[in-house]
Formats: sequence, C-alpha cells, structure tokens
Amino acid sequence: MFTRRDLLKSAGIGAIALGVSSQPVFSAAEKVVKMEAMLPPPKGNRVVICGGGWAGLTVAKYLKKENPNIDVVLIEKRPNFISCPISNPWLADLVSLDFLSHDYNQPAAKYGYRFINAAVIGIERDKKRVYTPHGFIEYNYLVLAPGIRYNYAAWFKEDKEMARFTRMNFPAAFIPGSELLALKRKVHEFEEGDFIITVPPGAYRCPPAPYERACMVAEVFKRNKVKGRVIVLDPKDDIAPKGPGFRAAFEQVYLGIIEYVPKASIKEVDPVNKVIKTTAGDFKFVDANLVPPHQAGALLWMADLIAKDKEGKPTGWADQDPLTFQAKADPNVFLVGDVISGTPYPKSGHMGNSQGKIVAKIIASRIAGKEYKPTLPDNTCYSMVNGSPQEAIVINVNYEYNEKEKKITPKPKVINERSEALAKATYEWARAIYRDMFA
Amino acid sequence: MDRRDFIITCGTVALASMLDANFYSNLLANQKDNMLKTYNKAILVKEDGTPLKEADIKPHVNYIFFYPYAATPCYLINLDQEIKPVEIKLKDGKSYTWPGGIGSKKSIVAYSAICAHQWSYPTKEYSFINYYPPDTPSETTKKAGIIQCCAHLALYDPKEGAKVIDGPAEVPLASILLQEEEGNIYAVGVLGVEQFTQFFDSYRAELRQRYGTTAKARELVEKCTVMEVDKYVQAVVRC
Repeated sequence: MFTRRDLLKSAGIGAIALGVSSQPVFSAAEKVVKMEAMLPPPKGNRVVICGGGWAGLTVAKYLKKENPNIDVVLIEKRPNFISCPISNPWLADLVSLDFLSHDYNQPAAKYGYRFINAAVIGIERDKKRVYTPHGFIEYNYLVLAPGIRYNYAAWFKEDKEMARFTRMNFPAAFIPGSELLALKRKVHEFEEGDFIITVPPGAYRCPPAPYERACMVAEVFKRNKVKGRVIVLDPKDDIAPKGPGFRAAFEQVYLGIIEYVPKASIKEVDPVNKVIKTTAGDFKFVDANLVPPHQAGALLWMADLIAKDKEGKPTGWADQDPLTFQAKADPNVFLVGDVISGTPYPKSGHMGNSQGKIVAKIIASRIAGKEYKPTLPDNTCYSMVNGSPQEAIVINVNYEYNEKEKKITPKPKVINERSEALAKATYEWARAIYRDMFA
Repeated sequence: MDRRDFIITCGTVALASMLDANFYSNLLANQKDNMLKTYNKAILVKEDGTPLKEADIKPHVNYIFFYPYAATPCYLINLDQEIKPVEIKLKDGKSYTWPGGIGSKKSIVAYSAICAHQWSYPTKEYSFINYYPPDTPSETTKKAGIIQCCAHLALYDPKEGAKVIDGPAEVPLASILLQEEEGNIYAVGVLGVEQFTQFFDSYRAELRQRYGTTAKARELVEKCTVMEVDKYVQAVVRC
C-alpha cells in the first residue's frame, strides 16, 4: 500500500520536514505534510472514482442514476476526453478530432456528480483517502479505472532514458493525448520506406487496434502515393480477433502496402539505430509505432492491488473478483475497465462502458443494504479496414457463466466480410456510447 | 387504478375522454405501475394524406411514422399472424400488460424506434435500428422476425411487446398504442419505458438543424404520416 512516506517520496521530497517551520514561507515538503482535506468528510456514502475513461464515466453516471443521494466524485487528470476508439479512422482523416472530443462538464452537471480535474498522487486504503495536489478526499467506496500504462521495462529494463527516447520518437499511441497527435503527424509526413507497427504480447488495450491501425496508416500511404510499406510485427501465430476480415483487407485493399509478420516476438528494440530483432527475423525501419507490453495503470500499483503469479511476481493486471469487480484485497475498492484480469473480457471501450453499469449497480445495492446478483458485460467492436470506400468488420460477444465450473465463456458472433454498412454502424456504435456517457 | 386515477396520472383529462371506453377499460384493468401515458389521439395517414387502412399495411414491411412528438420515430409492422397480449416484467420489478396486435388478424403492432439502449434512431440518412422480416435474418445474430439495432446489437421481439431478446438493452422498446375506429387507425399513447427525455437531450443540435428549433421537434402531433422506412431513409443499415 502507498504510505504517507511513499507519498512524500513520490512528490520528489527527500527530507520530510516535521514540526513548525521558522521560515515565513513553507517549503514544498511542509505543504505536502500539511495537506488538508479537499472536500468535507462524506456525510452519507461517498464513492470516489479515479479515472474518467469509458469505465469511470459510466460508473459515475449510473451511480447517480441508481441513487441520486450518493456523493459521487470523479477524478481525472486530463482536462477533456479524447476517445481512443475511432482514433484509427481519425489517423486517416475519416473523422475529425471533434468527433473524438467531449467535455466532462456536461455529464457532471446533468447527473450531479463532482468532476475534479486533477492527478491522483496517492492512495491510502487504510484511511480511505485519495490524494490529489489540491488535498485529499475521503471515500466510503473507491473505484479505480485508470486504464493502462506501458511496460517499457520489458524492452529496456532499467534504461529509462531509452524508454523516454522511444516514447518521444516512436509513440505507442494507445493512450489519448500528444502521442496520438504525434503518430498522426508522423504518418502524414512519412515519405518512403518501411513503417513498423508492433503488436504487444499478452493482454493489451483493444486487441484489434494494431490491425485496424495498419489499415488506416496504409490508407494514408495509398492516398499520398508513398513508396512504402506498413510492416505489422505480431508475436501471435495469426491475426486475432477478426483474423479473416483483416487478412482479406491486407491482401485485397492494401496488397503490397501491408506486410503481416506472425510469430514475431520481440527480442530487442534499438530505437536509435531503428532496428527491431524478433523471432521472425530482424527488421530495419524508417519510422515506427512501437507499442510495448501493456499493464494496469499506475493507480493500481499505487494502491497495491496488482495480482501476483504463483511465484509471487506481479502479473501486471488487477487482482479482482471476475463477477463483482471487487478488489480481492479490499471490499471497499472496485477495479474496472482495462485493468482487470482473470476473465475472457477484452480491454475495450464498449467493455468498460458495460462493466461500469454493473459496478454502479453493485455499489448502489450495497449502499442500500441489498444484495445484487451481477450480470455479465457484453462487447461489440467494429474495425475500419478500408478508407475508400469506408468499410468495416465487426465482432459481438456475449458471455455465459457456468456456476459449477466458475467459468465465463465467450459466445462470439463475427462478420468478417467488410461492408460500407458496417462502416456507418462503426460511427453509430461510437456516437451511441458517447451519448450514454456524456449526453 | 381506476379510470379517474389514470386520467389524473396522465394529466390528459380532456384527451382521455375522447378515447374508446372499452379499449381503455380493458387496457387499464391490468396496468399497475403507471407505465401507460396517453398523448394526442393522432390519425395515421398515407403519404397522400388520406387515412391509412389496415389493407395498406403490407406484411413484414417496416413502416415509419412520428409520434407522439414531431421528431420521435415509431415503427409500424404487420407481423401477419395474431399477436397476443403479453405481460412484460421489467428488471426493476415493474410490469405492464402489452395489449398485442390490432386489426382483423390482430397482427399490426407499433413501437418507438428509439433504441432503449443508447437511443439510436432512424434519420433521413441512416437507420441502424430495423425490423428483420422472417426471410431476412441478421447476418451477425442470424435471427429473423426481430427488431435489431446495429450500434451494439440490442435485439427486441416485436411479437412479444418488443421484449429484449439479447444484447445490452435493459428495457423493451416503448410500445405505441394503436386503436382502430371505423376503419381508421389512431396512435393514442405510449406504454412501457419511454426514452423521449434522453432522446431530446442527446440530439439537441441535430434536431435544431432538422426542425429549426427543438420546440418544433417537441410539438405533439395530431396526424402521423406513415411511409416505408426504405423510402424515408437513404441507407437502411443492416448487420
């Protein structure tokens, strides 16, 4: 667990100044030590949600819908919302940044929850406190929905400078913000040669995203008459999900532009000399979208709620109940969205939205002193595989729970035949969830 | 609930008194949870302005009209078989009795075409929520004779009061109550969980563009022009 001492350390403070300073101006350390409550203590039941992505926004809204008397606080470090889903079509200018962008004010004002635009710098679960630079906030229930972080250490171990260099020069762009804008700039400026996209190993945010991204980057190259290729380095044996649909697009729409390389587990990344060594051979590149392995976002590490394997090493993902999303180590904490593990659920926007509604019902029921039997989430995911004309493919998955075996089984339905109708549905899929979270 | 209570609940005293007494006494007898709301008694007409007759409603064709507001779309379907009343139970414990089909075969039904999941609706450009006739199953779900929304694959059963069959919707599509009088067909109310508030909240800019003002989009209609969805919508999106 993140202690007060750790908190001070993380704030870059070596020496802790205790007692009253004789100086008229407080030092930075004293300011942290004297950190006061940002909000008055909760009168009834306060639920603090850290992370204003697809899952966190949904929990906030549906908690207030379930019970307007619950004091709901949503803390998010970004000032506005930019959607990761549909950002690939945006790379190819098929939609504008306006389509992806939304304000946090609207749902907070309409549904009556507090939106706090701040970073979370500490969590003390024993005191039920969340720390922001503006003070701490006490909670009765805590929901952590921070999304993912990148595990550059898997490539560079302790060499943080190399990780920083890679992040700046070849951004992964699986987290909204500058890195997405940077990737778009690089794709549109690209003139000639090989552009590499790496598919992360293990679980990662939005499983079809690297393949859809390959199509959209190829679309820009085709439009700009670039003499270049998009090389997709995938540690898996084949494309998944929607493999046949993506493969058809690679071979029919972007033949000669996209080269798919399976069984290409990364052995070494040299971003300075622009070489990637893999189990399928070595690849030089002119530019790249280098996507390292993903992990649960930093807040889960801060709260010490990461699952451990048999050897006691962190798995990188949340340790939560697969049905209730309750943290195994803390009944007052719920872990939701991309962070979770131990389920067959993909890390996707739709899934975050769907899980958010379930978690809201569970917490509201618990506050009401009732038991709620959780339902299972669902997932629908469209992927744009052609930019002109716009065509897409889709997968829809419902889940079934076997009580006896305690196992969740996916029941997927896929359309791998790309169509313009599905491209239109892609945008309606997004608009509908934006409506749900914001309108 | 007696008739007086019902009228007070709905706040439509003058209007309700215009409605067929037998029709409502039967319907109200089984309504417990205030799930019925009357609006204007609006006649359904054809595109030429003449009253729509039962014979004009071809089996398994998806028709659209707007009710109870100028901007809120509904689907009218002749399911070509007797559609019996159904007791609809909601997840929150409320329930209502859906009265089944109307017409000589009791085969004609109408529902709000605003998806109860995240409010997709048919516009002039696209319709993502559609009726899939028995001979045209969905490519994704392989189901036919259903209403399906392609945004997130919410599935509803038009034969069962638009109950949720599968997918993420929590409640059925709201039902539009139809009444036949001397061969004419009227829309008289909405039964079930309305989505109109969310609809008007979600589409302010879009409705203003289409109707000039949101107030015009919210005008209660007295006449509903019925047309085939394929004629109204440029691209009927099926999945």
